[in-house]
Amino acid sequence: MKSLAILIGCAMAAWAASNDTFVIRNADVYPVTGAAMKGVSVLVQDGKIADIGAKIVAPKGMRVVDAKGLRVYPGMIDSGTELGLAEIESVRESVDTGELGEFMPQLRALVAVNPGSEHFGVVRVNGITSVMTFPSSGGRGGGGGGGRFGGGEQQLIAGQAALIHTDGWTWEDMAIERTAAMHLIFPSIAGRGGRGGGPIPDSVLELISGTAGASYTQARHTYEQQIAKLNDFFDQARQYQKERAAHAPGFKTDLKMEAMIPVLEGKVPMAVSASRASAIHDAIAFADKQNIKIVLLQPRELGQAAAELKAKNIPVILGRVLALPEAEDDPYDQAFTLPAEAYKAGVKFAFGTFDNEFVRNLPFQAATAVAFGLPYDEALKAVTINPAEIWGVANELGSVEKGKWADLVITTGDLLEIQTGIKHLYIKGKEVELTNKQTRLYEKYIAR
Amino acid sequence: MAVRNARIVTVSGPVIDQGTVVLRHGLIEAVGANVPVPPDAMVVDGEGLTVYPGLIDGLSTWGLPGAAPAAPTATAGRGGRGQTTVTTTAPATPAATSTRARGPEDRPATTSWLKAADEISPTDRRIETARSAGFTTAVTFPTSGIFAGQGAVIDLLSAQKPGEMVVASPAGQYISLTRGGGFGGGVGGSFPGSLMGVIAYVRQIYLDAEHYKLVKEAYARDPRGMTRPEYDRALEGVLESKQILLPANRLVEIDRMLRFAAELKQRAILYGAREGYRPEAADLLKKAGAPVLVSLHWPEAPRDANPEDVDSLRTLETRDKAPSAPALLQKAGVQFAFYSDGLDQPRDLQRAVKKAIDAGLSRADAVRALTLSPAEIYGVADRLGSIETGKIANLVVTKGELFDDQPRVQFIFVDGRKYTPAAETPAAGGRGPVAEGPGVDQ
Amino acid sequence: MTKIKILLAASIALAPLGAETTVIRNATIMTVTKGTLKGSIVVRDGKIAEVGEKVMEPADAKIIDAGGQYVIPGIIDCHSHIAVDGSVNEGSVSVSSMVDIKDVINPEDIAIYRALAGGVTTANILHGSANAIGGQTLVLKMRWGKDAQGMIFEGALPGIKFALGENPKRAGNPQGGRGATTVEARYPATRMGIEDTIREAFNEAKAYKAEWDAYNAKVAGGEHLIPPRKDLKLEPLKEVLEGKRYIHAHCYRADEILMLMRVADDFGFKIRTFQHVLEGYKVAKEIAAHGAGASTFSDWWAFKVEALDAIPYNAAIMQKYGVVVSMNSDDAELMRHLNTEAAKAMRYGGVSETEALAMVTLNPAKQLGIDNRVGSIETGKDADLVIYDKYPLSDFAKVEKVLIDGNLYFDRDQDVTGRAARQAEKQKLLDKEKQNQPRQQPQRRPGA
Repeated sequence: MKSLAILIGCAMAAWAASNDTFVIRNADVYPVTGAAMKGVSVLVQDGKIADIGAKIVAPKGMRVVDAKGLRVYPGMIDSGTELGLAEIESVRESVDTGELGEFMPQLRALVAVNPGSEHFGVVRVNGITSVMTFPSSGGRGGGGGGGRFGGGEQQLIAGQAALIHTDGWTWEDMAIERTAAMHLIFPSIAGRGGRGGGPIPDSVLELISGTAGASYTQARHTYEQQIAKLNDFFDQARQYQKERAAHAPGFKTDLKMEAMIPVLEGKVPMAVSASRASAIHDAIAFADKQNIKIVLLQPRELGQAAAELKAKNIPVILGRVLALPEAEDDPYDQAFTLPAEAYKAGVKFAFGTFDNEFVRNLPFQAATAVAFGLPYDEALKAVTINPAEIWGVANELGSVEKGKWADLVITTGDLLEIQTGIKHLYIKGKEVELTNKQTRLYEKYIAR
Repeated sequence: MAVRNARIVTVSGPVIDQGTVVLRHGLIEAVGANVPVPPDAMVVDGEGLTVYPGLIDGLSTWGLPGAAPAAPTATAGRGGRGQTTVTTTAPATPAATSTRARGPEDRPATTSWLKAADEISPTDRRIETARSAGFTTAVTFPTSGIFAGQGAVIDLLSAQKPGEMVVASPAGQYISLTRGGGFGGGVGGSFPGSLMGVIAYVRQIYLDAEHYKLVKEAYARDPRGMTRPEYDRALEGVLESKQILLPANRLVEIDRMLRFAAELKQRAILYGAREGYRPEAADLLKKAGAPVLVSLHWPEAPRDANPEDVDSLRTLETRDKAPSAPALLQKAGVQFAFYSDGLDQPRDLQRAVKKAIDAGLSRADAVRALTLSPAEIYGVADRLGSIETGKIANLVVTKGELFDDQPRVQFIFVDGRKYTPAAETPAAGGRGPVAEGPGVDQ
Repeated sequence: MTKIKILLAASIALAPLGAETTVIRNATIMTVTKGTLKGSIVVRDGKIAEVGEKVMEPADAKIIDAGGQYVIPGIIDCHSHIAVDGSVNEGSVSVSSMVDIKDVINPEDIAIYRALAGGVTTANILHGSANAIGGQTLVLKMRWGKDAQGMIFEGALPGIKFALGENPKRAGNPQGGRGATTVEARYPATRMGIEDTIREAFNEAKAYKAEWDAYNAKVAGGEHLIPPRKDLKLEPLKEVLEGKRYIHAHCYRADEILMLMRVADDFGFKIRTFQHVLEGYKVAKEIAAHGAGASTFSDWWAFKVEALDAIPYNAAIMQKYGVVVSMNSDDAELMRHLNTEAAKAMRYGGVSETEALAMVTLNPAKQLGIDNRVGSIETGKDADLVIYDKYPLSDFAKVEKVLIDGNLYFDRDQDVTGRAARQAEKQKLLDKEKQNQPRQQPQRRPGA
């Protein structure tokens, strides 16, 4: 009996001291997966959402966060970043995406994540609680295939992307899914222009002797060769898989092949970066042929591919909404309307910013999509429950529901609205201070 | 010599359905329907043939074999922002710019004193091929650099002495605005590294030339007590040039160059005129009274293009409408002439002119654009460009109409000397074999 | 051409040059200087003739029904590189003041139209940042369809671009880079050298000015002399010394900002605006004392080492110290949503709604010396107006119409409905080409 009393006593003391157990009182809760609930409370226990309701009463001693007039949302998830892997874009030493090598499935982004990166603090302040971080996302940081520091041959398989929280003592601490996806940079035939800085307008003068650089026939040949190489690599992996299962004599562990097995078994999806409709089509065909699950990253157009994607239930991570059209004649709002297009075609998607600097603008990207035709609820889902589902963690994250982790934000208003302030942020129920290097510099210099 | 009983297109007057042209001492002695054939003349039977004035290439490099094709108007196309203008100079830049230029005072890419007349090489193989296409004359320019040098009107003779070929020199200063695009702007390279840099340089040169002239004149009047001015051959070359050639393909460039020429107070001839079909272009040219050289190298679709990359509407339109520019310029009353712009195979030249005719230019106007018009533009219309008594005996005699689908040049007279066209050679480089019939793959 | 014609036709058909009166009816008008009201605006002869809850509507007025919509003054982007032919940098020399952006304006750059679609009516077109002292700059109105001369903002004082920090010294430290042969280093290679370069140039300019002043004085006294040689490099610097040309200085770090102000003090000129000025908050006091304006990004950071201390509160802090602050884009994409960039100032640092809106309207107008003409909705000013469908300081809003000098230059409805026609036109030409040149289709090689 005494031990029980001691236990209870300890538990009560634990509550009081525990930093991942508390009640959020009297808030407007936006679960995302259901209707909004006004004026309710949320009980967080041991880092999980234990209960949501109007009648929750906090036990004595439990910390209470008064959220009158405020809103509770799930923390946002950015499905395309290089956070922790790249600090200053222009400084090679600070960038760890873009390794050498054509097929590098054994590389793990997770272990190169620097928990001390200033970027985490900056994005937390805007309500982002977890991100997918990719080895060579194709953002402006590294990029074996096509980033600033890509060296050597064209990289095809860049390695394992990880789903991580934006706070933690170590990368182990931060890890949600150590291998959330395998990044495949699908071969491509260079088009006229690129994204980001704007398309290269057609010069009237290009007309005479064709474009400088590799001809299309050459480029097409290289493209097909690379797809062949990719298929060969997969064949090798399957062969390895067989030999491994059969404990073939003389069998030697090959780390690259080991890394491919979960992909072949369908346990880890292949995140495929493919931007043009023809490449998307070929990527889907490849996935069919190899019988693997894929997620499409950063398509620049959907067009015909949309129907295929829907038919095969292939989810899509849409890149920067705030981007210029590809070609001179493209509608000015081409990138703004892509999410609405995906939605209308019935394609499931989530947003990714693909640029460390702009991760904090994730909600505003979603809002712009709403201005140009995406229903508001879909935009909200695309930064919360959709990514959770796509990356296989919907049981733990993505909405304010009982049993899920308490990755929550408390805001002064609409999560996607620029003028909204974030008041509190919780990762697994632990409150994370909304300060970062920038807020500290602000405090210092406003007082000069 | 006399060509008898031929159809004669004089260009300066009505067509003579059947007549005779008499040549003597390299000049046209007589032309007309009832001209008597002198007893000492060698007679060429012109029955069923047509006589035209020899064609004049309004902007050429024929005779200067080392030079790049005149103003190749293709660009590497990598302009980061907006569109780059004419680029690519000759592979070998002249000695003047072997070290990196640090500013306009280093006179980068400038050989304004160079005269084509001094550099003519009669052994340039293109002279012969040009003749086979009906050309007797070319206005040849050095084309390498910003101030490339001064051109000359030359007759396409297979002469012993180059001096024999020169009809008039100098014929104007060739200016090109060759610099790249993107954000680079020549960082780490030689000045100027950008289009605006080139323009600023040209502007500075003209300011310097004006100043130089003042100083020289003052010194000439009374040198006593004055520091003597330094001799600047670049400025001398610029001052020598009575007119300048400026590149302008797009409407924006035509506007820009006309304004620039007015600012520099120079008589300018624009070359390129790819967007000459746009009514605003014709308006600007008419208002400025500036003559324009229209490139015969019509824009074409790139050969090996990615089918997923669709050209812009602007590009498609230009490709579609460019050959109609001459007809529209003609209607607007703009003075223009054609130039070969790197084409030198007879078939290509014929086809190019035919395209303009198909797009609305009358055959007579097409002929004029290759004969009297360029002569007028370069101020040699008193000697060339039409079949009139006293003019130089430059003639091309064809079976069938010039610029027809199958014309055949029978002979050419240059300075009264008779040449027969060479057998057509397979085109060297560039286009591949000129084959007939469908389905020939490149 | 036809596309341009369609657009041009649109603008002319709706509001011929100044001849008509236009009434924008029933909108929420954010004037910037005189508060926000619900009412109408009368535009006549290209100017704002009347603003009020009730206005006199002339019988023949063209009516734009803006019921439920918002009107703000045309957005002014204080830092742009659009509409330029060729490179925006003359990077071969450290002092390239002889070049002039005015010589290479490209009025057919699609970026102009896209900027319009984002609400920008005026832009300060600048030389790049490859030089300590760069080229001459000018201000343009986004009058899509006019020729180069027609785009120039009449009467706006010309400018010159300076650049401090990493960019102008990069050529002093040439890297091997991609397949580069040995590249000669261009002085300066350090920030110290940048100061020296600027001082040297002004030293020269001072002597040049003295020479010309002496000459002018003698000529005024009746002497006949040969004038000194006109040096295009030194002319604009002479104009700076005479207060006839504005300096727009790209800078990041606090030390270089201070340096330039002290150089200016020594030579007796003023910096008109600091551009980017991401550490401006550290020396806001000094900037205010000097009287320079500051034109900054809302929240870019970490892309370069000198941007490490950039904070999104920069604008708010500088404003607090009395600096006239504007938000700029320096990017063809970002300039399409300067309204939301301004809104970020409200989120980061608590700037008021009017102050935030001023940062992309009245403040840049003041910085460019054109606030007598544009920057707010007041009678007598140019009718440069933007109509949004929703509250403009939000990502949920989009631009519906843009007027410049009272003429309609952008109309979203027209743009959207015109797309099919443009596409048809294009298809016609493509079909025609295919017909004429069947031989030129590239052969697809079967397989790899």
